[in-house]
Amino acid sequence: MTDAAARIGTLQRIALKIFLDEETVLDPRDVIPVFHRWIQTSAVDGLLIDVADYSHMTSGPSVLLATHEGYYAIEQSGGRLGLQYARRADQEGELADRLHAAARTLVKAGRLLETNDTLDGRVRFRGDQLECLANDRLRAPNRGETMEAFRPTFERLLSTMGPDDDWSLTQEIDERERFSVLATSDSGAALDLLEARLR
Amino acid sequence: MSWKDTLGARIPDDLGREIDTYENQIALKRQGKIDDKVFAETRLRRGAYGQRYDNGQRNDGTGVKLLPFPSDGQTKGPDTVWDAPGMQRIKIPFGGLTADQMDTLANLSEEYSDGVCHITTRQDIQLHFVHIDDTPELMRRLAAVGITTREACGNTVRNVTACPLSGVCRDETFDVTPYAEASMHFLLGHPDTQDFGRKFKVAFSGCREHACGLVNMHDFGGIAVTREVNGTIERGFEVYVGGGLGAVPHEAKLFDPFLTEEEVLPTLQAISRVFARLGEKRNRARARIKFLVAQLGIDEFRRLVKEERDALAPDERWSAYLDDVPAQGERPLHAGAPLETAPNSGAFQTWVGTNVYRQRQAGYVVATITLSLGDLSGWQLRRLADLARRFVGDAIRTTVEQNIVLRWVREADLPELHRELDSIGLAQPGAGTVADITACPGTDTCKLGIASSRGLAAELERQLVDQMSSLDESARNLRIKVSGCFNSCGQHHISDLGFYGVSRHASGHVVPHFQVLLGGKWVENGGSYGLAIGAVPSKNIPEVVRRVTSRFVEERLENETFYDFASRIGKRTLKEILKDLMAIPGREERPDFFRDWGDPREFGIGDMGVGECAGEVVSLTEFDLAGAESQVFEAQLALEENDPTRADQLAYGAMLQAAKGLIKTEFIDISDEPTQIVMEFRTRFYDTEVFFDKYARGKFANYLFRRHEQPGPATERDTARRLIEEAQLFLEATHACQARLASMPSPPKAGSAPSPGGVQ
Repeated sequence: MTDAAARIGTLQRIALKIFLDEETVLDPRDVIPVFHRWIQTSAVDGLLIDVADYSHMTSGPSVLLATHEGYYAIEQSGGRLGLQYARRADQEGELADRLHAAARTLVKAGRLLETNDTLDGRVRFRGDQLECLANDRLRAPNRGETMEAFRPTFERLLSTMGPDDDWSLTQEIDERERFSVLATSDSGAALDLLEARLR
Repeated sequence: MSWKDTLGARIPDDLGREIDTYENQIALKRQGKIDDKVFAETRLRRGAYGQRYDNGQRNDGTGVKLLPFPSDGQTKGPDTVWDAPGMQRIKIPFGGLTADQMDTLANLSEEYSDGVCHITTRQDIQLHFVHIDDTPELMRRLAAVGITTREACGNTVRNVTACPLSGVCRDETFDVTPYAEASMHFLLGHPDTQDFGRKFKVAFSGCREHACGLVNMHDFGGIAVTREVNGTIERGFEVYVGGGLGAVPHEAKLFDPFLTEEEVLPTLQAISRVFARLGEKRNRARARIKFLVAQLGIDEFRRLVKEERDALAPDERWSAYLDDVPAQGERPLHAGAPLETAPNSGAFQTWVGTNVYRQRQAGYVVATITLSLGDLSGWQLRRLADLARRFVGDAIRTTVEQNIVLRWVREADLPELHRELDSIGLAQPGAGTVADITACPGTDTCKLGIASSRGLAAELERQLVDQMSSLDESARNLRIKVSGCFNSCGQHHISDLGFYGVSRHASGHVVPHFQVLLGGKWVENGGSYGLAIGAVPSKNIPEVVRRVTSRFVEERLENETFYDFASRIGKRTLKEILKDLMAIPGREERPDFFRDWGDPREFGIGDMGVGECAGEVVSLTEFDLAGAESQVFEAQLALEENDPTRADQLAYGAMLQAAKGLIKTEFIDISDEPTQIVMEFRTRFYDTEVFFDKYARGKFANYLFRRHEQPGPATERDTARRLIEEAQLFLEATHACQARLASMPSPPKAGSAPSPGGVQ
C-alpha cells in the first residue's frame, strides 16, 4: 500500500455535494424554515443542532444545518448552488463504507428537499454529477497521488449510484485547495432511484 | 499522523510547548482530573469559547428539547457539554495579517469549522462550530504561521487593536503599529497580567479626530502625539484609561496628556499591577478596570499607577524595540503610480467612491474589502491572499468595522484589482456607509444573545443597499451598529444609529425587540455614546431607520452631523417620531412580530400559559414597567439639560418603580416608600434568586441596592449617566423576570400579605 493510500484510508472528513438542475430557481433563504422543520421532526440523519443563515455571502455555505456529525448546507462554491453534506465526526468502517454512508445521507436529504411541500416542487437535483471533497489536507493533500489512491474507492461508490453509467472524474487543479473530485456521468438517475441504490 | 509531526520545527518551541500543555489539560479533563471552572478558564485563555446551545438544550420552536450529544457526561466547563460545538477566537494583533496567515486561516475554516471566517469588531477572526478536540491541531497550524490564540479570551489582555490605516493615514501624527505590536508581545503571558478579575483591552490610534482606533472605549488607549523639546520632536501618547462599552459604558478618562514612548510599556505594566491588585475579583459585573477608575477617581488611580511604576524593576524590553521603530513599517510591493485613465464603469466608480482611500504616500491607496456581516468563505480568503501577494504583499489588516483592507495598492492597479475582487465576489461597494453595518454574532451563535443582531443587520443591509443610489449623501454616511444584547460587542453605543437586543412580554408571548440608541459618535475615537430612546419590536427597526434618516435629511442644518442633529432636536422629539413603532401588534394580526429575523421559530420559550389572576397582576406590573421606562427616558433628558442630580433621581426612581411592579406580582399593597420597596424586592426576588439571570445572576439587582445605599443623589454628569445605563439594564432584567414569572404554570397570587419568602 502506498503512503497516499494509507493516508486516504484514514480520511474521515468527507463532503459530498449534488447540484441543482438548471431549471431550479431557489432563494436559499427559503430553505431556512425547511431546515428548522427537519430539526423539529428529526427528518434527516444526525444530531441536528441549529440553522445558520449565511445567505449574505457570495461564496461557500449559504444556509447551513449544523449537526453534531457535520453539516448540511445549501452551498454555492464555484457559483453552483447545490446541497452538500459534510461529515466531520469519526465513523467506523472502511473509507468505502464511510463514503457510502455520506452519500446515502446526502441523497436522503436531497430527496426531502425535492418533495418538500413548502418549496412547491421547485427543487430538482441533477443525478449526473457528484462532487466529493476532503476537509483534511493532512490525509488528503490535493495531489495526483491522492487521486490515484482515492479513485478505486470513489469509483466503487459511483458504480453503486449509476451502475450502467460512464463516469468521468475531474480533479481540482490548485494544490492549495482541498482535494476534490467532480464525477460526471453520461446519464443521471433521479434521486429516488439513487436513494434506492444506496440503501 | 498529525500536524504536530508534519509541521515539526515550523512551530516555534515556546508556542509548541504551550499547545502541548493545553492538549494535556484536555486529556486530564477527560479523565476528570481538572475542575470544570479551571478548565473553562484554561480553554478560554486559549481562545476556545463556548457557543449557543452548548448546555445541551435548544428550543426548536415547539419547546425546549435536549440535544443528546454523545459526551457521556463529559463537560468542558460548567453546564457546557464536551461535544457541543464551540467558537475559536484567533487574535490578530492590530489586525495585521500576512498572505500566508490568510491561507492558513482559510484552510482551518474549511477543515475544522463550517467554511466561514468571521471578522470581529476587535480585529480578531472567529471560527464557529469547532470541536474542542480539534483545537490543539488548529492552534499548531496557526503557530506555524506565527499566530497564537493565547489570551484571546478569559481574564487577560485581549487583542491589542490599532487603526487599520496606521502608517498610511493622511491625518495621523505617526504610525502606532510598532507600539501596538510591542505592547502585544510585552503583555502576552506577562506575570503581571495573569491575575485580573476581568479582561483588559488596549488600543492605539494615530490621531484624535477619526474613529478607527476607538481609544475612548478601551481600558487603555493611546493617541499618538508629539512635542518639541529643545528643538527635537519627541514622540508620545495621550493616554486614556477606564473606557469601555459593555452593559454599563464608561467614557475613558485622560490619564496622561503626554506619556513618552519609553514609558508606554512600563506604564502598561504598572496599570496591570494596580488592576490585578485592586480590581474587583468576585463580582464579575464590576471587575473591569473602568469600575476601579470610577471608584478610585482618576487622580488617585493615576497616583497609584505612578507609585507602582516607580517601584518596578527595570526591564530592557521596555525600550529595546524603540531603536527599530524608525526602520519598521511596510515596504510597498510596487513603485507608486497614479491612475491615469479610470475605466468608464459605474460599478468601478461607485466602488472607488466608497472603498478606496488615498494614502499620504503619493501613488498609493488603501482598498477596503467590504464583508457583509464580517463574513467571507475560506475559498474567498485564500483567493484574497493571492491578490494580496500580487498587489500589496503582506500589507493587509482587518478592521473594527469587520472588513479587510489592502494597503499600498498602486493607484494604477485599481481597475485590475477591482476586476479580480469582483471575480471572487468581494467587490461590494459601500464601505464605511450606512449599508456597511457592524453586528456581533448575537443569537446566531452567542450564548448571551437575546435577539438576532445578524438577522437584523442582514435585513437592513439588503434594504439599504437597494436604496443607496437614491439616498442623500448625509444619510449615506451614517453608521449603524447592532448588538444582540446589552453587552455591546456590536459597539452600538458609538454609532449614529445603534441597536441592542432586548425582549418584551405581550399577551403571554415574548417579542424580540431592539433598544434604539441615537447620537453616538463614530468620530473622535468613539467620542460620545448614544443614549437609549426606547425599545422597538425587531420587525419595526427598518422603519425606525427609514424615519430617522429621512428626518435627518429633511431637517439637518448645513454641515450638521447626526450627533449634533440628535442633540438639537432632542430625544423627546426623536422618541415622538418613533412612538407608534414601539407598540406591539396583536399576534393574530402580525404573527411575524413574534419571530426573529431569519428564524421561523416562535421567539423565546414559545407557548407561555398565563393564568387569569396573573393576567391582572401582570397588567399592573406592566403599568409600573412602562412608568419606569418613562422615568429612564426623562432621566436622559435631564442629563441632556445638564441636570445630573435630577437625572440621578429619575433613574433611581425608575428602578424603584420597576422593582415595585415586580413586587406587585406577590404583594399588591406595596407602598411607595423606597426602603420598603428595596427590602421587599431583596427578600422576594434577590435572596430567592428569582430575579437572577442565568448568566448575569444578580448583578442588575445590585444596581438598585447600591444606589439605594448612597446618601444622596449624584451631582456629577458621569455618575448620573452611569446610573441611567444601570437603570436601563435593571429595567431589562425586570422585563425578563416578569416574562419568566408569566411562563410559570402557577403564578403567585396578588394581594397576599407582606412576608419573607418568594415565588416557589
